Amino acid sequence: MSVLAAERPGPVAGRGSGAPARRAVIRWGWRLFLREWRRHVLILAMLAVAVAATIVGLGASTNAVQLKADPTFGTASTVIILRGSDPRLGADIAALRARIGPVDVVAHQQVAVPGSVSTVDLRDQAPGGRFDGGTLRLDSGRYPAGSREVAVTRSTARLFGLEIGSSWTANGRTRRVVGIVENPLDLLDQFALVAPGQLAAPTSVSILTDWQPGPGDGLRLPSGTGMLISSRGKPGTAAVDAVVLALGTLGLLFVGLMAVSGFTVMAQRRLRALGMLASLGATDKHVRLVMLADGAAVGIVGAVAGGVAGLAAWFAFVPTLQSLSGHRIDRFALPWWAVGVSLVLAALTAIGAAWWPARSVTRMSVVAALSGRPSRPQPAHRFAAAGAVVLAGGLALLFFSDHGSEQRRAWFIILGTFATPVGLLLLAPLAIRILAAVGRHTGVAARLAVRDLVRYQARSGAALASVTLAIGIAATIAVSAAASDAPRAAGNLPTDQLMVYTSPDTPSDQVPPLSPSQLQTVTARLDALAGAIHARAVVALQQAYSPAAGLQPAQPGPGGRTVPAGYAAASLSQVTVQGHAISISRVDPLYVATPSLLAYFHIAPSAIDPGADVLSARTDLGGLKIFTPEFHAGPNPQPGSLPAGRAQLWDVTPRIQAFKQLPLYTSDPGTLLTSGALHRIGLEAVTAAWLIQAPGPLTGRQIQTARATAAGVGLYVETAAKQASLAPLRNWSTVVGILLALGVLGMTVGLIRSETAGDLRTLAATGATSTTRRAITGATSGALALLGALLGTAGAYAALLVWYRSDLSPLGRVPVANLAVILAGLPLLAAVGGWLFAGREPPEIARRPLE
Amino acid sequence: MTVLELREVSKVYGDGPAEVHALADVSMTVDDGELVAVMGPSGSGKSTLLTIAGTLEEPTRGQVLVGGAAVSGMSRNDRARLRRRSIGYVFQDFNLLAGLTAAENVSLPLELDGMPGKPARAAGLRALEELGLGERAASFPDELSGGERQRVAIARAVVGERRLLLADEPSGALDSANGEAVMRLIRAACHSGVGGVVVTHDAQLASWADRVVFLRDGRVVDQTAPIPGPESLLAPER
Ligand SMILES: Nc1ncnc2c1ncn2[C@@H]1O[C@H](COP(=O)(O)OP(=O)(O)OP(=O)(O)O)[C@@H](O)[C@H]1O
Ligand SMILES: [Mg+2]
Repeated sequence: MSVLAAERPGPVAGRGSGAPARRAVIRWGWRLFLREWRRHVLILAMLAVAVAATIVGLGASTNAVQLKADPTFGTASTVIILRGSDPRLGADIAALRARIGPVDVVAHQQVAVPGSVSTVDLRDQAPGGRFDGGTLRLDSGRYPAGSREVAVTRSTARLFGLEIGSSWTANGRTRRVVGIVENPLDLLDQFALVAPGQLAAPTSVSILTDWQPGPGDGLRLPSGTGMLISSRGKPGTAAVDAVVLALGTLGLLFVGLMAVSGFTVMAQRRLRALGMLASLGATDKHVRLVMLADGAAVGIVGAVAGGVAGLAAWFAFVPTLQSLSGHRIDRFALPWWAVGVSLVLAALTAIGAAWWPARSVTRMSVVAALSGRPSRPQPAHRFAAAGAVVLAGGLALLFFSDHGSEQRRAWFIILGTFATPVGLLLLAPLAIRILAAVGRHTGVAARLAVRDLVRYQARSGAALASVTLAIGIAATIAVSAAASDAPRAAGNLPTDQLMVYTSPDTPSDQVPPLSPSQLQTVTARLDALAGAIHARAVVALQQAYSPAAGLQPAQPGPGGRTVPAGYAAASLSQVTVQGHAISISRVDPLYVATPSLLAYFHIAPSAIDPGADVLSARTDLGGLKIFTPEFHAGPNPQPGSLPAGRAQLWDVTPRIQAFKQLPLYTSDPGTLLTSGALHRIGLEAVTAAWLIQAPGPLTGRQIQTARATAAGVGLYVETAAKQASLAPLRNWSTVVGILLALGVLGMTVGLIRSETAGDLRTLAATGATSTTRRAITGATSGALALLGALLGTAGAYAALLVWYRSDLSPLGRVPVANLAVILAGLPLLAAVGGWLFAGREPPEIARRPLE
Repeated sequence: MTVLELREVSKVYGDGPAEVHALADVSMTVDDGELVAVMGPSGSGKSTLLTIAGTLEEPTRGQVLVGGAAVSGMSRNDRARLRRRSIGYVFQDFNLLAGLTAAENVSLPLELDGMPGKPARAAGLRALEELGLGERAASFPDELSGGERQRVAIARAVVGERRLLLADEPSGALDSANGEAVMRLIRAACHSGVGGVVVTHDAQLASWADRVVFLRDGRVVDQTAPIPGPESLLAPER
């Protein structure tokens, strides 16, 4: 018995393990996976959610913004608009072709909608044109052919009560509807399509071309008529690509972090078993293999599940996004490379995430592992120093990301987006230490909770990091959404309001006065209409004019209609004087602040400053003037020779008083001229419109009744225009971001708590009540949430400060409600959730499970 | 032949004011077939002695020789091989890997050493049968009683060609009858030529050993033959 086993030559001497050992170790890892599938479900869910969120985010950010084509330009870079009345139109277009190469010609004619201020564009466009780039699509039926056919958009069909097969008379011609068409890049584009060459007398002709006007590139037409040239420059995909890149990077980082925090907790839980394996003679490689096998299983399952869930969510989300963005979205137009990369990286990060804690297990002594003692936390200041450096580096990369070539930009954005949160996350341990120092003087529960966070720094750091990242994303969305949201409410009118005008050109520059008897008839009819739609209020609106200017002659209006003779109304305008040239652009019409209008807005006349000229909720009116045209003829405001001393008539700098309750809709009477100003400037008031307030959103039928009524007395109706706005998308992504943060928080706290069941058991044994248990869990999740919220919000602002550095003013619009939810609501919710969640006694307390 | 030799082994935990001298210049030898009991008050360094002997931990100073080979010169992998081939370890409570059946637990060191699954399983089953656990071979650890678990752990510690059996209070969590059964198995293993070291608080159980080493504050204070108890009279002569 003198031969010792150690001297016996091993079957595979060098490595001593071979395939049987690997098989045995993997078998054990697989059994553990099966035993602990509930815990794996958490990690799996975290991974899958991160992957899915990344896919949906990539899809939304790629598709929410129009990419290569534009609803007006298509793929062309320049649109030249010629007047349709030009008698030598054909020759002009031929000359243009010769000068600038191939062009698409689209002719337009306006069709008035009876009783409404809106018009429909009758369009003569050849389908499949060189530059149409997806601006025309047949939805059903067929394209029109010949002079007696037309295709209409859905909204046009609704407006005129048309369907395929019905006939439609527009501008004196009757055509049969043969198809339903749309502008896929702008679903709100309301038009009717005739066959090419069938528009006899177009109002205007737009010519699409790839030609770009250079400096001194004077275009001249044989006819000598003027034209309007607009260029959109190079298609701006770079900004979109940057968003997609940044989002993809963040998503992957998120996936990786989720995996790391999951596996760190898992490794801590497995510590004793891994120590046992090592005590049996497993090499470090074997120990790592167990965790890696686990990571691969979780990573692959999580990536596949997340990919499936993400694609399903994206497909389900496409219709919503389509109606939000107002353009058709190809559900397969995803950045597939990014999706693929995120799936592969999700699996890889899970493996890497499993490898990392496995590595630290193999670095500690077997005895320490056996006793389940966490390894000594690394000094927090070392992390913090590294974090500060990385954070600064990341911000610098973002800072310089708008310099240099496309290639370099992409890398700067990717690396910057990656380094900034990573740097922030390295600050997590320090934040936990600071919290521990602060929490030293609190009650036993909070103290215990915070001390555990410090003791198990590896797992609490990873948990905090993922919470921080989730909150950081939510905060970034919220803050940048608020920053890019103009303070004005989007839209012309709320859906429950109706404006009725005396002029078809609205809001009127030229107000035709009504005679007393006309006024009486109109009022009676409007009152009847108001009764029919159960209106809450009908308010007559007046505009102001200078009596010195007198009645302006009738002039052509939109849709081939005539704007009758009337008074030139005062408005709030931008008046720029450059040498002899004066340019005037109207910013907001002015309505007179009559007592009935003030009462409608609940403004007491006594609340109005006697010196105020204009009342408004808008904050962007500084530098504008009250402009009252006093010219004597012609549609374009040209100051005529003014009587001495009356110059202020067309150029008065107003004193503006803010009233928050005034509306911000563009067509609502939201900017009011006080009666004081009326007298001071010497203007007179004329009834120009009526506002009818319905009890709820107006139905299509009610709108039709209103149009019919208006048409009967020569008035014009305006209702809420459906419009694309990404504001709801931003709000939703804020909500989703916050929910994601909350979900991550719940998962990490759940994981940590299930790991501390042993401590809780000891606590219960020492006589702690369930209240203590609840308090500890509540304090743990509350503390993590608070730290995450603070770090995440700070990080979001740091990155956005760099991003917006050239103009910081948008950041002045702070999304107070969203931030309050993030900074106060989230920690509170987490604490309460932890409290409630810990109410049920976990089975581990009663009996410690075998590991 | 000496299976285990400790030469002036010291172990210091922590540093500065938190320094703990868990072991101070401990020397001892264990021969083939010899069973040594280690006794001493709590905190005297018994577990530390065992973990160092089992190459689970490195001594601060001194030499450990297993089967005549110095452990200090070995790499981590060499030490792992030593553990799976030559050293069997039985802990007080936490011994078996959940997720593996009793038989798989026992055959694990063999498989880790490269023995294919079938013969390894067969060897494990044989070891279990020798300890009277043949019927429980397919049970998972959480389906076994505490005494059965310790017996499985002993089977795993002696399976193959182990030469050194280290047991840290193997009967600590068991009642006296079960504790005695465990001790009997260890004694039997030593009869077949394995050198054994058992840490115990129980003088009655220590009396199964050939020799008792007393530790106090990390030092060996006494080495005696055991007080003969009634059980030792029952024990078969070596
Ligand atoms: N990892 C460690 N870090 C610091 N001190 C330790 C560590 N492990 C053991 N000690 C200390 O070393 C000394 C010896 O510990 P050891 O576990 O060997 O005692 P023991 O004799 O087994 O006690 P018991 O009978 O209670 O199990 C004790 O004072 C203990 O506090
Ligand atoms: Mg001990």
